[in-house]
Amino acid sequence: MGTEIRTQTAGNVWKVLVQPGDVVAEGDVLFIMEVMKMEVPHTAPVAGKVSKVHVANDQEGLDADAPAVELE
Amino acid sequence: MSFAVIKPGLETSVQDWPGRYGYWNQGFPPSGPMDSWSFRLANLLVGNPAGAPGLECQYMGPTIRFDDQTIFSVTGADMQPTLDGAPVPLWESVTAQPGQVLAMTFAKLGTRAYVAVAGGIEVAPWLGSRATFHKAGIGGMGGYALKAGQTVPTGEPAPEAVAGRRVKPEARPAIATDRRWEIEVVPGPNDDWIDAEGHHRFLSADWKLSGKSDRTGFRLDGPDWTSTEKAINKAPEHGSLPSNIIDQGYPLGAINLAGQTPIILVNDGPSMGGFINPYTVPQAAFWKLAQSKPGETYRFKAVTVAQAQAMARSLSALCAEASITQA
Repeated sequence: MGTEIRTQTAGNVWKVLVQPGDVVAEGDVLFIMEVMKMEVPHTAPVAGKVSKVHVANDQEGLDADAPAVELE
Repeated sequence: MSFAVIKPGLETSVQDWPGRYGYWNQGFPPSGPMDSWSFRLANLLVGNPAGAPGLECQYMGPTIRFDDQTIFSVTGADMQPTLDGAPVPLWESVTAQPGQVLAMTFAKLGTRAYVAVAGGIEVAPWLGSRATFHKAGIGGMGGYALKAGQTVPTGEPAPEAVAGRRVKPEARPAIATDRRWEIEVVPGPNDDWIDAEGHHRFLSADWKLSGKSDRTGFRLDGPDWTSTEKAINKAPEHGSLPSNIIDQGYPLGAINLAGQTPIILVNDGPSMGGFINPYTVPQAAFWKLAQSKPGETYRFKAVTVAQAQAMARSLSALCAEASITQA
């Protein structure tokens, strides 16, 4: 079973730092959201390989709890 | 009495209502809670005066541990609060035992939640208010948002602070579930710089709230503005853009036109500058700004000053003991 990383806040996606196939360690930053002119980094809760990325750079108006990155 | 900050949330700050009034001429904004409706009711639930210092939680709520037995309430946005893992009802006073942990997460509905504790938060006032204004580093906990590891002092609860007090459903703000908000605006002070077509466009268009919005300003995306002769044929000291004007004072809630981008100046906003303000959002509509999310849509509706004042009176009437029932 994979791990799904969901958005922790409503806001914009500022930067996506991974793409499918990347191998990440626990704690690596996967993507950074921006809200109220603050950066909200989202990190990998576990080590794994990125299987899917549902967010893109400069994507606007996302909801909280939206699927963002999947690890396998 | 006190509580400990385990996780601060995205930007959780101590605010009081109506905030730091009387220093606008020196550049100090009122600050205070953006949704004063939810804030005032949170305080009344726990037996505090409506304006007592409490927490404003934005987007992602904090996790706090109570050091003492504490009556508290959570109102406004639904950040799915739990007390030692058990769901906490919103709009109700609840008792926490010493050591119990109140945990809040992302806002499922709305954007800003309020936490009141019986006795209020006891921090030193600055220019007559405990409201945090982080741009100047004043008020609240050392001038800034809460940080992990801090101990937040709380006051002596009033004898009427009891659990099980609830805000009547009809006295709670209705947070939009369809991502659309109707926001009242009063024309002016610089409405004569916009032409008839520009006014019509502003009042009939959908405006999208930008993610670059915060307690200083709410930035909107929408159609272009068009102006009257006054904005174009003017003395050079006004500046080169149609929206430039010789520096002037700004009203709180001004829809400030920076080039073609309207920015609503809210609780921590600037007191003056060189852009025109064709419309002003009355304070009784601020709760809607507070609870809207980036990407949601605003439609503006013109009201008179008298109507805006009536809205403020109706809101204050709702923020009263009559809105509360004892379970």
